[in-house]
Amino acid sequence: MIRSMWALFKKDLQSEIRTRYAINSLGMFIIVTVSVILFSLGSEKLAQNLTGGLFWVVVFFTAMSGLSRAFVSEEERGTVMTLHLIARPTVILGGKLFFNLGLIFLMNSVTFLLFSGFFETFVFKSPDIFLLVFIFGNIGIAVAATIIAAIIAKASGKATLYPVLSFPILLPLMLIVIDLTKTSLEGTTYTDAGIELSFLACYDIVMLVISYLLFDFIWKD
Amino acid sequence: MKNKYIIGGGIVVVFLSLMVYLFTQSNIQYENDFTKIMQKGKTVRATGKWIKERNYITDPMTKNVTFFMRDNNGVEMKVLYKGTMPNNFEIAQSIVVTGQFREGTFHARDILTKCPSKYQDQKSANS
Repeated sequence: MIRSMWALFKKDLQSEIRTRYAINSLGMFIIVTVSVILFSLGSEKLAQNLTGGLFWVVVFFTAMSGLSRAFVSEEERGTVMTLHLIARPTVILGGKLFFNLGLIFLMNSVTFLLFSGFFETFVFKSPDIFLLVFIFGNIGIAVAATIIAAIIAKASGKATLYPVLSFPILLPLMLIVIDLTKTSLEGTTYTDAGIELSFLACYDIVMLVISYLLFDFIWKD
Repeated sequence: MKNKYIIGGGIVVVFLSLMVYLFTQSNIQYENDFTKIMQKGKTVRATGKWIKERNYITDPMTKNVTFFMRDNNGVEMKVLYKGTMPNNFEIAQSIVVTGQFREGTFHARDILTKCPSKYQDQKSANS
């Protein structure tokens, strides 16, 4: 099963490398948003408690602009039926999830590098906790984005439906993640951030299990 | 195939309830015993009274305000706050400061004041 997931992941990766559709749109989005923030600041320094929030705003909307490709592209190219024939639903979910995970870790690392390059106040006093927040947050966004992409792939007006559906589902994650980023900028300890970190881990597990259970019904059509 | 939903549903229920439990824990708690605050060093909302006799001092360079608070048991605590004082600070009956205790002072990031009510009850108005 893992092998067929890997095969699906490789197929997505190859078609991505050839068309560069998602990478280009995500890269453009990141560059545009970060430079707009830079222009609006001018020569002023960005207040430290705002950088965390802005970082996740960029991450959220980048995810919304790119991650729906996983299922929408299959629908547009008319290859859904082939996927139905050759693979089990769980395999398809797994392959798409791996691809989205790779994509989101790549783009968020780029966003993070740009932020730490351009904003002097985006310096973490406890980087280890931020790393955990970053990993858990990315996994949560990728899982939720994948399952919602599968839901909206057949609908019309996908581009608006996607962020509208994702926002309430990602809201608890975003609240905790923004709060934790703020506190890890100021410096915090594992005992202080423990509750929120375990909340994030629980959220990831719940989302993963729910999407595993529900994907059969979404995919069955 | 049925097992999948039973096990999966079980996992979801367990972790969802854990999430709800954690969410109730993560809110900042009120604390009116200063000795506990000084021991733990957690982020709390400390409630107490401002000690008027030991006036508050504003540092014009750093804009830090330091003042002293007393709880119901008479324990005193030094509070440091970055920013301007609330207007009604001096007439407040009791104040609530949100922050953390470290290195001998309470570092507040927020101050709430509880003011005496404008509206008196009928008894005191007649007498």
